[in-house]
Amino acid sequence: MLLQMDKITKKYGEFYANREIDFSLDKGEVHAVVGENGAGKTTLMRMLYGMEQPTSGTIRLHGKTIAFNSPLDAIRSGIGMVHQHFMLFPSFTVAENIVIGNEPSKIGTFDRKQAARIVEQLSEKYGMKVDPWAVVGECSPGIQQRVEILKVLYQGAEIIILDEPTGVLTPIEVGELLEAIKQLRKQGKSFIIISHKLHEVLDVADRITVLRDGKVTGMVGKEETDVNHLSRLMVGRELVELEKKPVQRGDKVLEVTDVTLRGNKGKHILDHVSFDVYGGEIVGIAGISGNGQSELLQIIAGLQQADSGRVAVNGTDTKNKNTRQIREQGLAHIPEDRYIWGANRSASVLDTGLMGHHRKLQKGGFLDFKRVRSMVSEWIAKYSIKAGDSLSTTSQYLSGGNLQKLIVARELAQGTPFLIAAEPTRGVDIGAMETIHTELLNKRDSGAGILLVSSELTEILKLSDRILVMYEGKIVGELTAKEATEEKIGLLMAGGA
Amino acid sequence: MNRFNKILSPLLQPLAAILVGLIAGAIAIAIAGGNIVETYSEMWKGAFGGFYFLTNTLARATPIMLIALGVALAFRSGFFNLGSEGQMVIGAITAAVIGLYMPGPGWLVSTAAIIAGAVAGGLWSAMAGFFDYRFRVNLLISTLLLNYVVVLFARYLVSYPLKDRTGSAGLNQTPMLDASVWLPKLFKGMPLHLGFIFAVIAAVLLYILLKRTVMGYEMRMIGGNPLFAVYGGVRRGSMMMTAMLFSGAFAGLAGAAEVLGTQYRYLDGALSSAGYAWTGIMAALLANSHPIGTAVAAIFLAALETGAMGVERNTEVPLEVGDIIQSVLILFISARLTYSFIKRRKGQNTDGTAV
Repeated sequence: MLLQMDKITKKYGEFYANREIDFSLDKGEVHAVVGENGAGKTTLMRMLYGMEQPTSGTIRLHGKTIAFNSPLDAIRSGIGMVHQHFMLFPSFTVAENIVIGNEPSKIGTFDRKQAARIVEQLSEKYGMKVDPWAVVGECSPGIQQRVEILKVLYQGAEIIILDEPTGVLTPIEVGELLEAIKQLRKQGKSFIIISHKLHEVLDVADRITVLRDGKVTGMVGKEETDVNHLSRLMVGRELVELEKKPVQRGDKVLEVTDVTLRGNKGKHILDHVSFDVYGGEIVGIAGISGNGQSELLQIIAGLQQADSGRVAVNGTDTKNKNTRQIREQGLAHIPEDRYIWGANRSASVLDTGLMGHHRKLQKGGFLDFKRVRSMVSEWIAKYSIKAGDSLSTTSQYLSGGNLQKLIVARELAQGTPFLIAAEPTRGVDIGAMETIHTELLNKRDSGAGILLVSSELTEILKLSDRILVMYEGKIVGELTAKEATEEKIGLLMAGGA
Repeated sequence: MNRFNKILSPLLQPLAAILVGLIAGAIAIAIAGGNIVETYSEMWKGAFGGFYFLTNTLARATPIMLIALGVALAFRSGFFNLGSEGQMVIGAITAAVIGLYMPGPGWLVSTAAIIAGAVAGGLWSAMAGFFDYRFRVNLLISTLLLNYVVVLFARYLVSYPLKDRTGSAGLNQTPMLDASVWLPKLFKGMPLHLGFIFAVIAAVLLYILLKRTVMGYEMRMIGGNPLFAVYGGVRRGSMMMTAMLFSGAFAGLAGAAEVLGTQYRYLDGALSSAGYAWTGIMAALLANSHPIGTAVAAIFLAALETGAMGVERNTEVPLEVGDIIQSVLILFISARLTYSFIKRRKGQNTDGTAV
């Protein structure tokens, strides 16, 4: 065995993040670690990469027991990690980003040409094409990820840890990445992939370890398992299939006409976007993040002004209206980023849950805490939100998934005819995803219109009645739920016609 | 146990800061050649040793408390109001003018002066809020600079048009207010006046406002995460002006109460040189802007000052030992602010998936 982790336990106070986990990796093997959020995947990898020290247990590399105090130790021992969020310098070139830390020099100065040559050789050797002179900030996420992988290869990694590697990629880029992994495996590199996308895992991994609540619930070879089996191991129970009733179209709840927004350099962020959402339907917007979806939602919600065009919520123009007025017109909004827009980290769970309801639950300017408490407690029970022992727990101590559930509950409870749901299940576990999806469909069946934006194609396909695809600020296609397939959408997302 | 922790943990940092401050003070006393135990016991006596000293400390604490509460209100709403000094001075001079020139029975004039002082402070402060909202003039800078405007203007007023020409001394001050306008003392012969009751009521009201009301909720949310508040339908601009209005009104009230309760006139520099405004800001920071905690911190800081005076009266150790303790406290508070600032910057990059 190349790498062997035995009975690894990590305790934070009384909480076991990892409990007696065994894990191993062969040379030339791809071993996936899957599990829901908070199952302990990341903790395990942080210990392997020297970012945390195990409470007990041993890690052996080439049969020798090791103890890393920092990622630097791990890198020296041939372990590299590509993080979920890329750690690159956007304004530097590909070559500069790859050779950082061990730059080639000529009489004491950085030798750019030599760096480019090194990167070309690397790129050829491993079959991952990059342009060494390109500026990283202008490269697509797929290329940036290649740069990250080449960087760890340049650092001499034999074991490469990929943390949720496909989160930001288009379907085509995902294919390329999986291909690259297979190529590198042939050359003797070993991979650990942390993921929750079971199809991809089944495509590329040799073995799969499933974690739940910090414990291993299964370690299976690729041949002995399938998606259903893996999800059972992850969730600990059977999942139910969602049932979708036929659309009962109601009134128009959102009308977007010719909305245009220009960025700093005069480039169109939104380019004459027009579409409608009716009551009783879910309209999904697919697209790789950064193609104008965020800005579009902010304009609809009144958080940003469009340069031109018109937005009407429930038949009333939102021009010059503030967020309160737009909300009063009948908008609720599950925001894209739960920490930036969706919560106040330093406030209690109660306070975070109260937002938007606070003007309704009052008596003469005083908050009616009795009703507020029962309202939030109800959500906590309904969505099984783990919110500590009381409603005064500070929001920042909730895990991302639990906070997301709180936000979803809060916005659904606004009872509005129109709802923006941006990345409604980002970072939540499968069980919670099920609840949220069911609730969104219930909301739709009750006659509300929902605008869904998600970077997860499966989510879009599962929930939407109509699907719009955005690419570079334009809506480049509209598909009905029936005609939509992952391939068709994927092609549109990548800018193909 | 948990409940106990919850009450105690926010107190830990200020208490640690105070402890270290006292240790630093002890070192300074030792260097100055004093006896540490004796000096601190003199300090205690100077602040709380006997009814007169206690009421004296509370009298000194009165303007500090009111200012601190105003600052705390602004902080909790996420706005840095550094203009307390100016807001206090404008409140004081307004109260003095009303007290001197308004006809009518004493109680009415007194009430009107107090209200006018608070309103003047509030409007002055809300003006800075308006500038920020409308023209994006940074609140921190405008509130700070507006201090100079009003302090110098008040100096002009008491040097020329309102100058007291009756006395022999050439002090820049208004004439003395009629005794019927004075705020009543709480105890005969003691310096403590009705203003202290105002301050205590203000602390309780602020607590209720923040904790219980819709407006307080919106203020706290703006203070915690303005984007979240705006997303949820809180109007930042009007909330900022409201918060600044109240915040300045507290400071204006402090100034008015000082004029009507202690000085009985506006004396140029009297409020500024006592450093009420800055001590008030410190009290708010020390208590992390908790209303009740802020009031307590204000009394504590006032006690340091009156205690230091006691030290100077009765020992060889100079008055400045109180300043040393305060300085160490400031150092600690700023260290905490910097720390939480860095933490916040770092925190922006996580999306919570790294469990």
